[in-house]
Amino acid sequence: MNATGASRWPTLGLAALPLGFLALVVVAPLVRLSTVALADVDGAILAALVRDDYLRWRLAWTVLQALLTCLLALLIGLPVAWVLARRSFPGRALVLRLLMLPFVVPTLVAALGVLAVWGPRGVFASWTGIQWQDTPWLLLYGNLFFNLCLVVRAAVEALERVSAARVAAARTLGATPWRAFWRVEWPAILPWLASALCLVFLYTFSGFGLALVLGGQRFATIEVEIYTLVAHELKLAPAGLLALAMLLLTGLVALLYAWVERRLGAPARADHIARTRPSGLWQWCAVWLALLALLLLCAAPILAIALQVLLAGAGAWSVLWEPETLQALWNTVRFTCAALVLATLLGVTHALAARRSTWLRAAAFLPFVVSPVTVAFGLLLLYPAWSASLPLLIGAYALLAYPFVANALGAALDSLPPSLAQVARTLGASPLRVFWRVTLPLVQPALRRGMAFAAATALGEFAVTLFLSRPEWATLTTLIYERLGRPGASNRAQALVLAAELMLLALLVFVLIDRPVRDRDGRRPLPPYRAAGLPHA
Amino acid sequence: MLELTAVRKTFHDPAGAHWVLAAGLDLCVGPGETVAVLGPSGSGKSTLLKMIAGLEPPDAGSIRFDGQDLADVPPERRRFALMFQDFALFPHLDVQDNVAFGLIEQGQRRAQARARALELLAVFGLADHARQQVWKLSGGEQQRVALARALITAPRLLLLDEPFSALDAELRASLRDEFAQRIAAAGITTVLVTHDEAEARAMSQRGFRLAAGCLQRLW
Amino acid sequence: MAHASFSLPKPLLAKFESDAGVKLSIIKGGDAGEMLNKLILTRAQPIADVVFGIDNALVVKAQAANVLEAYNGPAGQRPAVVPLAAGVVAVDYGFVTINYDRAWFAKSGLALPRSLDDLAQPAYRNLLAVMHPATSSPGYAFMLSTIAGLGEEAAFTWWGRMRANGVKVTKGWSEAYYTEFTRNGGTRPLVVSYASSPAAEVFYSKEKLTEPPTGSLNLKGAVFRQVEGVALVRGGQQREAARRFIEFLRSAPVQEALQTTMWMYAAEPGTARPEVLRHAAEPTAFDNPPVEAIAARGADWVSRWTGVVLK
Repeated sequence: MNATGASRWPTLGLAALPLGFLALVVVAPLVRLSTVALADVDGAILAALVRDDYLRWRLAWTVLQALLTCLLALLIGLPVAWVLARRSFPGRALVLRLLMLPFVVPTLVAALGVLAVWGPRGVFASWTGIQWQDTPWLLLYGNLFFNLCLVVRAAVEALERVSAARVAAARTLGATPWRAFWRVEWPAILPWLASALCLVFLYTFSGFGLALVLGGQRFATIEVEIYTLVAHELKLAPAGLLALAMLLLTGLVALLYAWVERRLGAPARADHIARTRPSGLWQWCAVWLALLALLLLCAAPILAIALQVLLAGAGAWSVLWEPETLQALWNTVRFTCAALVLATLLGVTHALAARRSTWLRAAAFLPFVVSPVTVAFGLLLLYPAWSASLPLLIGAYALLAYPFVANALGAALDSLPPSLAQVARTLGASPLRVFWRVTLPLVQPALRRGMAFAAATALGEFAVTLFLSRPEWATLTTLIYERLGRPGASNRAQALVLAAELMLLALLVFVLIDRPVRDRDGRRPLPPYRAAGLPHA
Repeated sequence: MLELTAVRKTFHDPAGAHWVLAAGLDLCVGPGETVAVLGPSGSGKSTLLKMIAGLEPPDAGSIRFDGQDLADVPPERRRFALMFQDFALFPHLDVQDNVAFGLIEQGQRRAQARARALELLAVFGLADHARQQVWKLSGGEQQRVALARALITAPRLLLLDEPFSALDAELRASLRDEFAQRIAAAGITTVLVTHDEAEARAMSQRGFRLAAGCLQRLW
Repeated sequence: MAHASFSLPKPLLAKFESDAGVKLSIIKGGDAGEMLNKLILTRAQPIADVVFGIDNALVVKAQAANVLEAYNGPAGQRPAVVPLAAGVVAVDYGFVTINYDRAWFAKSGLALPRSLDDLAQPAYRNLLAVMHPATSSPGYAFMLSTIAGLGEEAAFTWWGRMRANGVKVTKGWSEAYYTEFTRNGGTRPLVVSYASSPAAEVFYSKEKLTEPPTGSLNLKGAVFRQVEGVALVRGGQQREAARRFIEFLRSAPVQEALQTTMWMYAAEPGTARPEVLRHAAEPTAFDNPPVEAIAARGADWVSRWTGVVLK
């Protein structure tokens, strides 16, 4: 074993934790479920699946709506992100945090909010007489509502790292602002955008969530088919085959992303472009337009819920003080904290281990690539004694949350000049000290962004309801769904109040994770990462 | 005293091509001596420095310092300071903390390390900038801070990787003299890698050209 | 092990725990159908001692999969208001039927449909929301009653006509009731729900209503009687405690309480009916296919339904 910094052993050691976790929680259950499922598979079932027009249409629709969502998210998200990254205005930081709320809102509550705005008795309908229920537009809207924040936040961070000197150089060489964007900024932000769009694709591909509720079964995706086959019909054989097909398809997407990121990821060069206050009419218009877009797409349903909550009356508000609610609040807080700690640990080790390996980077997407229902049922088969246990629950939360940390950190690690770590080594710092004193402080903004999304995922409990649960572990989300499982206006009102509480909790969590850092002498906040790079382009 | 014996290094790129960066190199650098290695970009000069620093392993051959074989010694224990073309100052630390970095790694307390850093900055004439963020300094000032950071740890060997390439010609000349003077005053063994022959001649006692993996003595 | 809608007042459960000297641990396994599948999947190493929520649509499947053990204690011997199956003790029953929004119908002037055939007429286009039988147990129940009421072939023909007439299919009851039903801001004034839902609307209303804002239609071929029961899990550990739990579920306090926590009618004869349930009169007629037919043909019917309505 050599003693230089290029040793392979630390990398393998680092990779052991996240890979071990993935193996235990995802791969082993999948293998177990497949052995049961594929034992029954024969040519006939395979042939029937392949010839099934319905499934082919489902697959086509799944891919189509995922691609459309990605396209729209890019077209709308990038200009909005540009405004947020280049212009400073009061409330900017708050907007970035509020952006993440759609992630936290339970699906059914979001549907209520969307209907309150765009439905037949909604605000929009009462102004214009148009309502969008039962159209595919509402579906795409539902997808965008959840996923726009992924694109916008990634783009904002990427734009903040673009080298000012390079843009200036392009301008002095005769490029108009638009050409400068195309030729300098766009290539620089592409790795971040690719990462975010891949996540959006994978999320919408799985098809649970708002789109399904708003669009109805007619627009269901393959994942819903798998869910139906496994959970309700126990037809494991065709489900296993479908899940395998989905795995291959989405695995390709993940590999593609990992490959793109490795190729394009390059160390940051010079100082970044400072944010300016908008000057002049056009710039202010741009800011207002961006805010309007965010308002319509992301904020309106939440505002509608907030309004209904405010008008809900004392009877509904009293649910907040019930012992059951307080217990649920406590559960939500402690599960999220535990999941966040585990997710950060996994994400950091995974990102460090995956710097040089495309496969490992793609593996970070594994939790999104596999069908959650197959994992849930595989876990049930594999560890029945632990199926209703707390560690498994926290593990499930962490599983869905840690890819955010790993991906955000991966992009940031790519953009660190290697010379910094090398200099630190020669000044006497061991690899661990280098990480602690040099790497971590510099990637800290990206880590915080990843952690914020991880926390949002844990709070939003996407797909965790597939696992067995116990009433003593009821979280706010569980209570909301319990209320919405019974008829009655006061149930509905109470569900909305609880949802509002959840969102406020989430906002608090985001503020805690994302707050600006003061350096040790208590001076003003550090600006975003800048590399002391080459003074000219 | 630094001794390289029969050092070999070949670089393989993912496409399958390979370049020989070092083919059985021998080099001796005596105590207090400054040696320059010249060569065009891509000839492997930077890799040579990294091998000496311990950041990359040679494929074959040995590197010894003062008789000790460095094969199992990690970079943080070699006490060789490395300076880069892009200055590589830590952006999250101010100037004073940058200079104090190595002292803290040697075990000194932060306050004490910062005080010593300030003293050295005063010697360099940079005391006014002590609490500034590093990117606010000019290129020349940044490289001088990098030198202070390197020298304060009393390294056994100083490795300079094209230290002035990022600066303009006038600055290069004045900085070159200043660096040569400070290095001589500290009496540190130095290996300088550059593509500028005039600079090399001004700063070093012996000079080599690295071409096709071999060192040819120039003066 | 129970389904997601299981709910009893905490004090009652606590009393059971102290009386029986055991700790009660409830695991919720999702919808009734999902829950049964989870039991089947783990039958080699059972995860529960007793299961609540096996209903008449699922009981034969459960028995065929050999996950239940017969219970013949006192609760099982006493006759229930409605029968379930041998060895499974009935706890409550309810009716799946179509609910309508009174306010919407009053405002639109449209007459209430009087038969399933009416629903397929153009006048009632785009007015009904149902749930997917594969993912929702009331949805499944509704489909079964159309098959029993109209006959299999005629039922599927009707479903085909309903597809053309714009029936909306949702994943589960919550989605249908809270996002499609006009009472809650949707576009459909007719939704598949329970006969007890109007009473629940009064109970949980904000302004203390005296009359329910919704009603049950009880059309021929659109009412299914659902009987839920509790049974021992084969291979479960705590036999004695499980038996006591079964007795507990048929005891008077529980039977009274469940009417307003789970909104089902009590199976124990002689249970006092709460005042609010007068708004949820039991339908006089219902259409259930024979239990054996459900077990034998249920899965086929769901596949055929999916083909007729969605594909």
